[in-house]
Amino acid sequence: MISALNGAFDDIFRAMKLRRVWIALAHEDIGDQHRRTTLGPLWLLVNYLAFAGTFVFVFQPAGKDAAGYAAYVAIGLMVWFYLMEVISLSVPLFKREESFIEGTTLPLFVYVMRLTIQSAIRAGYAVVGCVIILLISGPSLTPAWLWSLAGLLLILLTTPALITVFAFTGAFFPDSEFIVGNLMRVGMFFTPVFWVYNGQDAIQTYAYLWNPFTYFLDVARTPILIGEFPSNAFAVTGITALVMWAIALLLLGKYRRQVVFLI
Amino acid sequence: MVSIKLDNVSLVYKLHEKLTLSAPDRRLGPTGGRIEGSGRKQFVQALDGVGFELKAGDRLGLVGPNGAGKTTLLKVLYGIYEPSGGNITIEGRVDALFNINIGFRREATGRRNIVLRGLINGWSEAEIEEKMEDIIAFSELGDFIDLPFKAYSQGMAARLAFSVATALEPEILLMDEWIGAGDASFQEKAKRRMDELAEKAGIIVLASHSEGLIQSVCTKRLTLKGGRVESLTAVPVRSAEAALASP
Repeated sequence: MISALNGAFDDIFRAMKLRRVWIALAHEDIGDQHRRTTLGPLWLLVNYLAFAGTFVFVFQPAGKDAAGYAAYVAIGLMVWFYLMEVISLSVPLFKREESFIEGTTLPLFVYVMRLTIQSAIRAGYAVVGCVIILLISGPSLTPAWLWSLAGLLLILLTTPALITVFAFTGAFFPDSEFIVGNLMRVGMFFTPVFWVYNGQDAIQTYAYLWNPFTYFLDVARTPILIGEFPSNAFAVTGITALVMWAIALLLLGKYRRQVVFLI
Repeated sequence: MVSIKLDNVSLVYKLHEKLTLSAPDRRLGPTGGRIEGSGRKQFVQALDGVGFELKAGDRLGLVGPNGAGKTTLLKVLYGIYEPSGGNITIEGRVDALFNINIGFRREATGRRNIVLRGLINGWSEAEIEEKMEDIIAFSELGDFIDLPFKAYSQGMAARLAFSVATALEPEILLMDEWIGAGDASFQEKAKRRMDELAEKAGIIVLASHSEGLIQSVCTKRLTLKGGRVESLTAVPVRSAEAALASP
């Protein structure tokens, strides 16, 4: 256990020293995805606004709840799209990086950070779109918004652990790419991304209370919409982050040298 | 002092039966070697008791049939594979050329790719800046250096990869046989640079099926078979032209 943790920290430490590599590669990834397009990465903003606008237009409730719904969907979609992209792209990560892993001595955590930065950059465009919707839909700016910022930071800090765990899952269990992809697509309907939980139906109760994604969404959403510190959501998200990091460190320490034989 | 010493090095890895919903598939990993064991406990003995010693100025050619362990041995020397047994002692800065395309991005220009490759190799920005023009000049890519990498032929890509790998004058250079991808004049130019590296008290280890390339470049020949060393002999000195003319 101790040697596994030492190995993991060594890998992470060496990757951190190579931060110029993963930052440069992540920027290249974003550039390549939008090369030769007129709007370039601004398409990410357009895509987000199109999705959020559609959800608001189709599902917006009538009456006094209507005003807050746009902000509710805007924040929910921003966090959900980020998590969905991170998890879906993590599963085939080591397979995607096969030529690097088989041809260089770069630490595995370089690839984890490359995807982390790439996802964060893409999410940055969604954040811009979300702020635009918040300004239009009108929730007043309060100091509680800083809790929302802290919530987003917590999600960001959890991201490398999530990527590591799902990348190893994908290396050992190739079918998981499709299983996880399908679960994430279905998961959107079992997570309060665009539907609002009012304590009404049994299925929605389970989907709300027993779904960890609910709390990832709430750490960013509740401070802005309600103006309160969501202690329960922060606690669950924080514990989830710690558990994911513990698993990630063990996997990285124990199996990082085996990955080259698995992909 | 630059040196490589391997003592009874072995590489054994388990054939992982991946968790999958499809039919059982005991896949062979990326290395050659021998499959041992049966049932659920199957292992690949990729290297077995490999031992040799190289000192400054040595140029070792790795030969042997497909699956003999040539590329595996190179990757063990580079640190990609962790040996299961034995000892490896390496003194000197190591660089490797296993695959032309590693670290190169198809959409990026040759110039941008030099920067990226430099970063991957752990160079500082100052080192990249300092070596940029030398690399471009040696690769002879001219105006192509500002075109996307995907526009390059295999030979052009090989020239760029070789130029970058040798730009910082590694003390130990490990190469797989792709060096044959370039044209004859580039191979001669590459050989001269490898001679310079070796003369500066470096070590070169080259895996190849080409006897001509081995005779042209190397001073020693290590023959591998089934992951074991079959022989380690000196390569008779021949002129480069005569050596390259042989198959």
